[in-house]
Amino acid sequence: MKYTLVFLFFSVLTFAQNDSINLLDEVQLYGNFSPKINAGFQIVKLTDSVINSNNQSLGNLLQKKANIYFKQNGYAMVSSIALRGSNASQTGVYWNGIPINSTLNGQTDFSTLKANGFDTIEIRKGAGSTLFGSGAIGGAINLSDKIQFQNKNEFRFHAGVGSYNSQDYFYQIRSSTKKLFAKVNFQESKSGNKYPFLNTTLFNENGAFKNNHFKSVFGHQIDANNQLKIFTNYSVNHREFSRTLTAPSDAKYKNIESKILLQYDHFGKQINSSLKLAVINEEYNYYFHKTDTDFSFGKSSNYIGKYDFNYFINNQLSINSGIENKFTLGNGTNISEKERNIFESYLLIQHQPINNLNYNVSFRKGFSSVYPIPFIYAIGVKYDLLANLSLNGNYSTNYKLPTFNDLYWDFSGNENLNSENSKAFELSMEYHQNKTKLSLASFLINSNDLIQWRPVTNTFWRPINIQEVSSYGLEFDFQTTLDFNQHHIGLQTQYDYTISKDIALDKQLIYIPFHKGNASLDYRFKTWSTSFNQQYNGEVFTTTSNTQIVESFWLSNMELHKNLSSYIDIGFYINNLFNKEYQTVAYRPMPNRNYKLNINIKF
Amino acid sequence: MKNSKQLAILLAITLFLGSCAKDDPIDNPFKGDFEKGFFVINEGPFVAGSGTITHVSDDNQITPNIYKTVNDEDLGSIAQSMTFHGDNAYIVINNAHKLVVANKYTLKKVTTIEGDNINNPRFMVTVGNTGYVSNWGNSSDATDDFIAVIDLNTNMVTSTIPVGEGPEKMIVNGSKIYVALQGGWNQNNKITIIDTLSNSVAGNITVAEVPNTILKDDNNTIWVLCGGNPGGWAGVESKGQLVKINNDMVENTTDFETNEHPSLLNINGSDLMYSLNGNVYKFDINDTELNSNAISELAGIHYTMKVHDGKLYTTNAGDFASEGTFKVFNLSDNSEVLTGDTGVIPTFFAFQ
Repeated sequence: MKYTLVFLFFSVLTFAQNDSINLLDEVQLYGNFSPKINAGFQIVKLTDSVINSNNQSLGNLLQKKANIYFKQNGYAMVSSIALRGSNASQTGVYWNGIPINSTLNGQTDFSTLKANGFDTIEIRKGAGSTLFGSGAIGGAINLSDKIQFQNKNEFRFHAGVGSYNSQDYFYQIRSSTKKLFAKVNFQESKSGNKYPFLNTTLFNENGAFKNNHFKSVFGHQIDANNQLKIFTNYSVNHREFSRTLTAPSDAKYKNIESKILLQYDHFGKQINSSLKLAVINEEYNYYFHKTDTDFSFGKSSNYIGKYDFNYFINNQLSINSGIENKFTLGNGTNISEKERNIFESYLLIQHQPINNLNYNVSFRKGFSSVYPIPFIYAIGVKYDLLANLSLNGNYSTNYKLPTFNDLYWDFSGNENLNSENSKAFELSMEYHQNKTKLSLASFLINSNDLIQWRPVTNTFWRPINIQEVSSYGLEFDFQTTLDFNQHHIGLQTQYDYTISKDIALDKQLIYIPFHKGNASLDYRFKTWSTSFNQQYNGEVFTTTSNTQIVESFWLSNMELHKNLSSYIDIGFYINNLFNKEYQTVAYRPMPNRNYKLNINIKF
Repeated sequence: MKNSKQLAILLAITLFLGSCAKDDPIDNPFKGDFEKGFFVINEGPFVAGSGTITHVSDDNQITPNIYKTVNDEDLGSIAQSMTFHGDNAYIVINNAHKLVVANKYTLKKVTTIEGDNINNPRFMVTVGNTGYVSNWGNSSDATDDFIAVIDLNTNMVTSTIPVGEGPEKMIVNGSKIYVALQGGWNQNNKITIIDTLSNSVAGNITVAEVPNTILKDDNNTIWVLCGGNPGGWAGVESKGQLVKINNDMVENTTDFETNEHPSLLNINGSDLMYSLNGNVYKFDINDTELNSNAISELAGIHYTMKVHDGKLYTTNAGDFASEGTFKVFNLSDNSEVLTGDTGVIPTFFAFQ
């Protein structure tokens, strides 16, 4: 309560300052993912051309471009992220700033979330619960649609065909004036997905999928200082759950997600504010046998109201603050109708006392109708040692709140669960020189009260706050480009080393690799371009006693593009170039070498 | 000359006698590494994994993962039980819907039994040269459960016998099989009698809910332990019950308290033993009242428990995501005689 009063106090303070502030533009564009208020953290931004050259899932894109580890139950099946040794519910995923991790299981399925159709994707590695709320412990990923008020019309069409009866297409219209903006897109991708399991006589049977996504974005520049925006997203995903090496399957799964966001932004001389109202719905239907009429289901409706403001006191000092209320209704076959309300507020003070030092201090306190939410704080520092070399450091306390499944699963749910807590520390350095960038980060995350489902009897399990985990490691990223005559070469190499241990067992967590690497080489000459991508996944343990593994593997992908004209290009992709046998989840083989041809039209 | 001839005869006799003293390999051939001792069948992880088999020899050597080592292939998802017939071991693989037939001494694979007539198989018993396997059928259909009848000379399913929901463990008595209908994914309360002369259902005996173990004593009396409905997601909680069946009729029942759900009934001479809430209890077959004294030395959260030759064999599944453990107790003094690691989720003991 004490802290809430402090926030209210700050929000009514005013200072009379007239300095022009171009921080404004940045925060206006990026909200809480703005580098300025994230001093001490690295934010990687993927741009339009990177995101939209191929129709693919967000998981596939992040593996190729950001060296992020995913485990998938087979191609296009459920894909879970593990950032910095954390689990799948400890990475926050945001849609235009609104949290979209499932309320039911706390996770995002990176196979059903499409990357293309978005304008930018921001990846912030490291813990950030003070700014982003529950679950942003390994990191936070924001998918955003940008609105720009300028006279412009654009039409995009994309179609692709690939091995195993795969097809996808994408249509987008974008039209804007100085006052209005509209973007609408629709896409579908589907596949028979019946690839062979290499070195066996089996195939990926019962793995077909089809998904449809619809998006619309509208904006109105009311006047020089005010904008109104609407974002919608609707997707339906049908998937059969594929067999494994040791058991057949005829299960299928359907999930429907709908999102709508109404946003009102105000830009003043010193204060920017943004009011967001969103409704995020999710529903899944699981058919044990695809011929059944019965299915088990779960759904949640989330009503979110969020108000953020940035107050630029002067060029050196600014304050960010906000409140967010999320009301959730959930129910399902195994969850009787339940509701939960969470109210959170945060405050961030950003200060740049001298030119090459930028630091911020942030606090967050939340209140819930169901469980206590701890007070958390963070400090981040960015020090520019030289013009092109900066050192970053941060320390934060963070939380992840129990999910609906943990709380309310019939008879097993535990309404006495507390939040999971993490303390995180990071030191990193970044070096820029012309077109070269090098960064090296080291991190430590200690978590306790992690929720695990444990057997009470051999047939009755319950979730309890019990596990303690310590994760630490190094992340290395090097990028450079070279341009001469009409040739362009780009090179990126990334390597992560992660230890993530269950303290009680003193063993590495399952499905967390020690080593993960990624390298890409791009080459462009006139109208041709090609790219070679090499991934390395180190071995992972599949038992908590670390006695069994999924083997390490090298995976190579290649693509070739040709600009037929200024507005058409075609692409040819070879995935798993060397036809390697590999799995990310034990007994669930991934595809052999496969091909794709696509065409992109943009005018 | 006479001496060397005598020496030669003496040598010949010695050699002849000597060779007789050795074991004649034709009488006692070496059958395989796993000829003696016992096996632990491990289910493997719940999802996407394989069952495994652990062998423990007579001199307490523990060899893990023997099926894969011998055959260089996985058993399949969820190994449930193993039954011997002749030289063969029939390993029931529940989630892969098949039986793997292997030589019971070497564990070398002989063949598999699968197809439409093996669907969620659970346990197997044999009568003469015929095998009977309980199958739950399709998980969303409560009416398609059956017993698969297998000709053990050809290892082919010859017919199926439809039964009620959830056939699980079985016991053979003469030419009849008593099938406990535990309930599969639901709860049931019957014992179905199969007449093996006609391979059809001869009748049903109603007992309490969730009959989880069935056995017979030296007098051919059938004993059934019913766990009772666990309540919660399963419905209305009900009492566990020990049922005594003679001449295909319920002769006596002994009730437990409503919140007591016993399981893993076993017999050691005239002592019945069962597991309840982490304790092991004894019940003399002539008792009418339950014994509330647990045998403290035998306590533990036992995933399975089996009495064999005066010893009690138990397993613990640990966190279900890593290797489990087994323990062997001598029932004459309840002392622990052996313990060791198993595979993931150890579910069944099979004794050579």
